[in-house]
Amino acid sequence: MGGLPTSRTVNGFAVNPENSRVMYAAMRDGLFQSTDAGESWRPVGKGLKDLAAVAVNPRQSTEVYAVSMDGRVYGTADGGKTWEPQR
Amino acid sequence: MGHFAVIWAAIFGVLAAGIVAVPRGVIAAEPSKTAPQSRFEHVHALAMAADGQALWLGAHTGLYRSQDRGKTWTGVTLAAVHGHVDVMAVAADPRDAKVLYVATHEAGIFRTRDGGLTWTIVNAGLKGLDVHGVAVDPRDSKKLHAAVRGEGDGVYRTTDGGEKWVRVDDGPAGEVKVLASVNIPTGMGGIFLYGGTAEGLLRSPDCF
Repeated sequence: MGGLPTSRTVNGFAVNPENSRVMYAAMRDGLFQSTDAGESWRPVGKGLKDLAAVAVNPRQSTEVYAVSMDGRVYGTADGGKTWEPQR
Repeated sequence: MGHFAVIWAAIFGVLAAGIVAVPRGVIAAEPSKTAPQSRFEHVHALAMAADGQALWLGAHTGLYRSQDRGKTWTGVTLAAVHGHVDVMAVAADPRDAKVLYVATHEAGIFRTRDGGLTWTIVNAGLKGLDVHGVAVDPRDSKKLHAAVRGEGDGVYRTTDGGEKWVRVDDGPAGEVKVLASVNIPTGMGGIFLYGGTAEGLLRSPDCF
């Protein structure tokens, strides 16, 4: 486990409503997940980059959406392991 | 205010010295060739309604709603008096799917209580209208924080769903990109307010 890329802009941020220690940060370098309230982070979503925002489904917290700055929307149904473009 | 810089702390700063190198080869990979075509210009925000149905997207070109998990989007007009608004942040009420707050670059904060059919401007008390973040308290959805940039710069709080805002702090260093109230007790009676900024992710106890 590591940190977020240092001195980089965090464009988007979202929290698992069932477990507030699980959180996501959307950045130019991709999407990062923490399971310890931000103490450590790991990249999730291979291939995702230039991200602007992230959101968690309040009713199904393993369902997460990320959107790039130019509007490409991606979704995962397994908490971030696998991602698919929404189209 | 002098205490401010002390309160807002980079929550991952301690990791910087021993940071594990991000596998750049992995995350720098090109998105799938089946990636959807771009529909928006400069996206700023994404939020899902409390019922897990509507997905809301804020962009330079306005506000959009999807009912099919982001596959198709419909533009949503916030108010007739503002032909174009640059949507900077979107915050959904965690309990009521019909309630949403939208922060804009030039017109302050809009609120809907009917799922986006009608909108009310809720700027009373804000000293500026360039709002870069808005966060609903997960424990009390009438309590929100908002980050104003430029004129009236700072963090504002409402305890009545936006009817009246009060400036409570200077806000984190760096331009705020996103603001979120996180239900992690501070030990001082409040919870933490997280800010995604141009200088990284910061957090502060919300008991300003």
